[in-house]
Amino acid sequence: MRGYLAVMRGSFMVSVVYRFGFLFTILGNIIYLSVAFFLWKSIYRSSDTIRGLTFNETFIYVGLGSAIFILLKTYVDWILNFEIREGAIASYLIKPIDFGLYTLFASFGSLLMNLAAITIPTLIMLIFVFKVEFVLGPGLIIFPLSLFMAFLVSFYIDYFVGLLGFHSESVWGLSTVKEIIVTVFSGALIPLHFFPEALQKVLLWLPFQAIYHTPLMMITRPDQSWNIFLPMLFVQIFWVVILFIATRLFYNQAIKVLRISGG
Amino acid sequence: MSLIHVKDLSKHFKILNRREGLGGAFRDLFSGDFRTVEAVAGISFDIDAGEIVGYIGPNGAGKSTTIKMMTGILKPSGGLIEINGLVPYENRIRQAQIMGVVFGQRTQLWWDLPVIESFKILKEIYKVDQKTFDEHMDMFNELVGLKELYSQQVRTLSLGQRMLCDITASFLHNPQIVFLDEPTIGLDISVKAKMRTIIKELNRTRNTTIILTTHDLGDVEALCNRIIIIDKGKILYDGDIKKVNALFGAYRTLKLQIDQFNETTLQTLNDKLTEKFGTDHGITISENEESWTDVTIDQARTPLSEVLNHLMTNFTVMDVRIVEISMENVVRKVYDGALT
Repeated sequence: MRGYLAVMRGSFMVSVVYRFGFLFTILGNIIYLSVAFFLWKSIYRSSDTIRGLTFNETFIYVGLGSAIFILLKTYVDWILNFEIREGAIASYLIKPIDFGLYTLFASFGSLLMNLAAITIPTLIMLIFVFKVEFVLGPGLIIFPLSLFMAFLVSFYIDYFVGLLGFHSESVWGLSTVKEIIVTVFSGALIPLHFFPEALQKVLLWLPFQAIYHTPLMMITRPDQSWNIFLPMLFVQIFWVVILFIATRLFYNQAIKVLRISGG
Repeated sequence: MSLIHVKDLSKHFKILNRREGLGGAFRDLFSGDFRTVEAVAGISFDIDAGEIVGYIGPNGAGKSTTIKMMTGILKPSGGLIEINGLVPYENRIRQAQIMGVVFGQRTQLWWDLPVIESFKILKEIYKVDQKTFDEHMDMFNELVGLKELYSQQVRTLSLGQRMLCDITASFLHNPQIVFLDEPTIGLDISVKAKMRTIIKELNRTRNTTIILTTHDLGDVEALCNRIIIIDKGKILYDGDIKKVNALFGAYRTLKLQIDQFNETTLQTLNDKLTEKFGTDHGITISENEESWTDVTIDQARTPLSEVLNHLMTNFTVMDVRIVEISMENVVRKVYDGALT
């Protein structure tokens, strides 16, 4: 365990090295938030609620969604694919560590940095610049836990795509497709409420909504109650377990076909 | 019982036959045209604790593949490896604790962090206690003097510095076995010398078993007592270094650039040498590239200085270089039966 924590710390420090990257991400996020603010403002000009959501709720959903989007972006699939292709994975495999856990902790390290450098500033901006009001209730308490589960779901999806690198020499296309699917079907771009009813029903059966929609609902739902939130959390945990087992099985099978050429 | 036991080990890879050009690349998308490459084709050996073994062979001989199988990264296609009685591939995490590995062409250090941070992470991963860690770092500092590099980012290190740090890292958890895969590749002579000092010292004081693959016969001469020569996935020679030492110790290649080189020059050279040293002169002559001629001399039979002298007086030699025998030539000589 000590080893994994050291890995997490190391990965956090690596993120600090690229501090200028954060400046641009924050800048980009400010622009995104401003555009989203005026866009939704003009959409809401015609009525106070659309599909049962007020402007405030929608904007929290979208704004916080963008903050979570950046938070969860740890590029696991890209890094993993690169390391498998270059054979750099060899230097992890010679260590007495579990590769899946190693990757998880490394990813969590950079998540912490994202949290401190981007997500929290965005949150502050949402409260003080865009004047959004959060509903006080159990949602705020359960939100961090739900967010952590969201990270695990997102991580295991990325990890799975990264592991495909064992089979395919380039997962560039796959990664891009995955990115689009996750962004759209998870509610990161547009709240799931705005999707057609039928599609919403389908999406609720997929793991993607567990990444954005679930934690965001906990913050924005006006009917704050444990009876609603706990089942939502269990669905997230369900997906974490399923994806964990699936990636384990896939890894055990994929590692057998590993080829490391040269050197 | 021996520390490492390898029996009939083999590994083959399936490789997609790639076609040329853009059209070829598209057709490859749907291609099922695989060919099998035998990287390691049935090798057996035993290594005892405390040995330093040179595992050598030309490019593509299967050295790295063997090492990757011994470290448990790759699964053998056939045969058996046991280290301390355990199969590395099945007990990777447990085995990793007793092994150290240096891949000369990659680093296990964290590219973006200062050197010392990588050591600290490794300390935690291998569960090394603080006292052992400090002792180890002091020892390495004494041997190679790395202290001033500790605060430097790994990616700003020179190749030599990085390799020394990598070696330090691989010995950190006091492993029983250290695999060094081309550790001296691309290094200058002074760093190589340092590297050899460390390896020797650790083998002496800690009885660490070392398996070294290299292209540099100097490394082998300086370090190993035993060598295993491998080519095309098969073992050509496994035994005492002394026998082989005579092989590459005695041979030198004289590279000559001769003025007015033409197709008859090689013949004239040979005639002149036979005239002076008799038919059994042990010299082979071959044309290298653009007017460079290779004259390989067995010093046990004919002294190099005399050959050079003789050639200088009879030909207009514009440039001369003397090189030690290459790995490829050693292997060729082993094939020709030089060791039997």
